[in-house]
Amino acid sequence: MKILLIEDDREAASYLIQALDEAGHVTHHATDGETGYAMASSMDYDVLIVDRMLPRRDGLSIIESLRAEGNKTPVLILSALGEVDDRVTGLRAGGDDYLAKPYAFTELLARIEVLARRSSPSEAATSYEVGDLSLDRLSRKVERNGEGILLQPREFRLLEYLMKNAGKVVTRTMLLENVWDYHFDPQTNVIDVHMSRLRGKIDKGHANPLLHTIRGAGYMIRE
Amino acid sequence: MSRFAQLWRTTTVRLTAVFILLFVIFSILLLAFIAYQSSIQIQQQQMAAINREVALLTRIDQTQGVRGTIYAVGRLSGQPGPGIYYLGDAAGLQIAGNVTGFPPNVLQNDGTFSFNYDRDDNLNGGGAGQGFAVVRSLTLDSGLRLIVGRDVVERRGFTAIVFQGFLLAVAGILAFSTLAGVITARRVLKRIDTINATSAKIMSGNLSERIPVTKRNDEFDGLATSLNAMLDRIEGLMQGLKEVTDNVAHDLKTPLTRLRNQAEAALRDGTDGETKREALETTISESDKLIKTFNALLMIARAEAGAPSGALADVDVSAVAADVAELYEPAAEEAGMTLESRIMPGVQLRANRELIGQALVNLVENALKYHEPVDGTPGRITIAVRNDAGRVKIEVGDNGPGIPEADRGRVVERFVRLEKSRTEPGSGLGLSLVAAVATLHRGEFRIEDNHPGVLAVLDLPASS
Repeated sequence: MKILLIEDDREAASYLIQALDEAGHVTHHATDGETGYAMASSMDYDVLIVDRMLPRRDGLSIIESLRAEGNKTPVLILSALGEVDDRVTGLRAGGDDYLAKPYAFTELLARIEVLARRSSPSEAATSYEVGDLSLDRLSRKVERNGEGILLQPREFRLLEYLMKNAGKVVTRTMLLENVWDYHFDPQTNVIDVHMSRLRGKIDKGHANPLLHTIRGAGYMIRE
Repeated sequence: MSRFAQLWRTTTVRLTAVFILLFVIFSILLLAFIAYQSSIQIQQQQMAAINREVALLTRIDQTQGVRGTIYAVGRLSGQPGPGIYYLGDAAGLQIAGNVTGFPPNVLQNDGTFSFNYDRDDNLNGGGAGQGFAVVRSLTLDSGLRLIVGRDVVERRGFTAIVFQGFLLAVAGILAFSTLAGVITARRVLKRIDTINATSAKIMSGNLSERIPVTKRNDEFDGLATSLNAMLDRIEGLMQGLKEVTDNVAHDLKTPLTRLRNQAEAALRDGTDGETKREALETTISESDKLIKTFNALLMIARAEAGAPSGALADVDVSAVAADVAELYEPAAEEAGMTLESRIMPGVQLRANRELIGQALVNLVENALKYHEPVDGTPGRITIAVRNDAGRVKIEVGDNGPGIPEADRGRVVERFVRLEKSRTEPGSGLGLSLVAAVATLHRGEFRIEDNHPGVLAVLDLPASS
């Protein structure tokens, strides 16, 4: 995956570039807004990681200009401002996701991998399949190995989100944001309990589990 | 700047000056009108008197002849007053009268004339000098020339009196209104000086200073009262900020020190890779906890500052509560408790959805954390939302050990964790955030007795 990182903090950037490199991604780096904008509009990237506060040109204005030009490259906004309204302004400017500093690298990695255009099934797909598990978004039916599985509405949305991002790590915060639509901060393991219930319904009695816990990061569904 | 210049700059004094000017202008106009009207009136009266005397003398001339006329004019001339009389023969020789030296055309032609003349000593008893006369001249039937008139110097005297009165009045008005203006301005200035002095004291650091409020209850007292209310708010916020700073210093420094010590220890004796790895993992999880604490503090600060993060919107509180109940239901079940919801559908509120959600999450997590019913009955958490006579009540109840009445107010404070809960994980900020959220929505947060257990009540005004 080819990534453009626009971030003025050189230390944070070099750490991020190294970690992304270890994860198998190529990262270009711009240290100010103007350079970043020039690079983003002249080259083709899979994901842009844009800091909000940048010298010479701020992150939101870069995103607005790119969107105005019809550039649809997914953007993850990084910001020290984590409040809900800051998130809303960021997303309204055309960002696709918003991550408040400080963040865990696993969280960032999971988010950009989900964001990347390549290898994601289209939003319009009506059904997903992972191994012998299938989910039909229209009839809201879930089957494993031909046997129907009865899911609560929320469990269905959980599974739908996981299957849409099959093969990618989704973190607990991503689940809370995308399945429950809340940005708050639970202290306890509420998400884990929901996941173990879901796991009980789709993996129980099957030799090869599909739902995997990725230690220190989150969950993943894969064959 | 001199005291006078300062006074002159006050609005009151300027306004007073403008009013004085206007008053003087109107007085001049009014008095000029009166003087003009009076002089016309007097002129008409004089002319009427002249005509009356002319008519009388003409009749005397007709009925009594030359002798009677001469006698009558002589009588009139001898009387004191502004009257002017002359009787002469056809040749122009004066027979009777009190004035000599008429202009020739007055002596020769009939009509009304006005002219300057030399006044005699004996006329009007007013001393010799220039006089101004208005006269009527005519030829009587007997061929004699009669002139009857009035000295109008008297009329001028009246105008002078009016003018003097006017000057006196203007002087009085000027003196009085200047005095009144200065006194008012000084009073206003004094009140404003008090406010300025108080502001200066506050700016120099004494936040507890207040503007004195008098018993007069005037507009300045209104201003002082609202300024004082503002100062109370600011002082409260500053106090809160200071508490936060103190607590942050204390409660963040402790884990930071621990973090540093762990890293140091790992560096010193961590020859074996596994120990190092463990130490690093502890470090990360400790930092995560610190970040969470920090985020909670920021959220409280924002909510308390009253600047809602994200403008308030119409929020379906019932839906939020149902989401939270659904989110926590499995976790409660896993902890061996039941989670019950008694949510009245469709309760709406102008609110910040995330903050209401976070407050509910904090309350439910508290209930989960401190459940353990004393009597061994299964734990039970209830989430209730209802619209109760214009108040939206969001309640989270449990049947745990409860909080002693004496401690109920204190648990809401930042970082306060009752002795019993010291061992539980948590920042000690959960309930402070709930309280801040209540304040932000102009409501209140209280802890009641659930018989047994805790009943946490967010009591918010329904429409704000």
